[in-house]
Amino acid sequence: MRFEKTQRTPLVEMSNSHCLIVGECYPENISEWSQPVFAALEDCVGTQDSFDVDIELYYFNSSSAKFLFDFFEFLDDKADEGVSIVINWRYRAEDDTMQEAGEDFEEDIENCTYNLVEAESADA
Amino acid sequence: MTNLDTVGLHDFMQRRKTLFCYSGPLTEELLTTISNPVRHQLTENETPEAIANRVFGVFIEQAQNIIRYSSQKTKAAGDSVGTIAISYIDETFLIEAVNQIDSTQKSALEKTLLELSLKDQKDLRKLYRQRLKDGPPEDSQGAGLGFIEMARRVKRFEFDFNDSNSNPMFVYRGWVE
Repeated sequence: MRFEKTQRTPLVEMSNSHCLIVGECYPENISEWSQPVFAALEDCVGTQDSFDVDIELYYFNSSSAKFLFDFFEFLDDKADEGVSIVINWRYRAEDDTMQEAGEDFEEDIENCTYNLVEAESADA
Repeated sequence: MTNLDTVGLHDFMQRRKTLFCYSGPLTEELLTTISNPVRHQLTENETPEAIANRVFGVFIEQAQNIIRYSSQKTKAAGDSVGTIAISYIDETFLIEAVNQIDSTQKSALEKTLLELSLKDQKDLRKLYRQRLKDGPPEDSQGAGLGFIEMARRVKRFEFDFNDSNSNPMFVYRGWVE
């Protein structure tokens, strides 16, 4: 499943073993955008023993923060049920806002392996 | 002729070092469109990316506050009216927004912002995470995080209620450097 990137929403790729989110996230209507993404996640996670998540966001607004929180909470519950889940939160070097955001989410994750990864600089 | 003073408008904007200003009905669709020149202006200034992102973040939250909470609506479509501006003064960005609010909203808003202004970064971060867990308060149309988010991104902020008429004008200024 693939959700194309727009000016205000990131690219999302979802398979039974992997989820990739890259870009900026401040949708015009957060629930309209997030519902199909969340539905895809629910369909995919748990179909296999493990699931990997790569997230590289450059900006997200406060409405999207709630989506990300729910997204991680869902993954953490699945990990508690026995799925082996690895989350990689990627941020650009010197982007302290996204680094801090990654640290904030990390604090509420108990059952997933969570990595903060400093990514290479801008790919323009 | 008239005294529209177009040159005066130009001089005023230049003098107060305003890079971008929009005043009028604001919708999410319009915000998508005006995000581009705002990004462009921030890049033109050769601003470090981390700072440009903070300015942009405060700008988006302020714009969405106008869209959600301005009590001044257009007659035709019911769109929210407000003014939003970004200026660059002495190597500091000033992001300003003003919109009319319902007088019944004033005291709650004032209380929220006063409380936020007294918190340090550590407490703001804690409050932000708590709000994420708890979900939005009843009167919020967003995640209830906007003002906390802005307080975390700015060096300082101030707010004001211009009470000259029955509907107060809510003013918010945030400085990013």
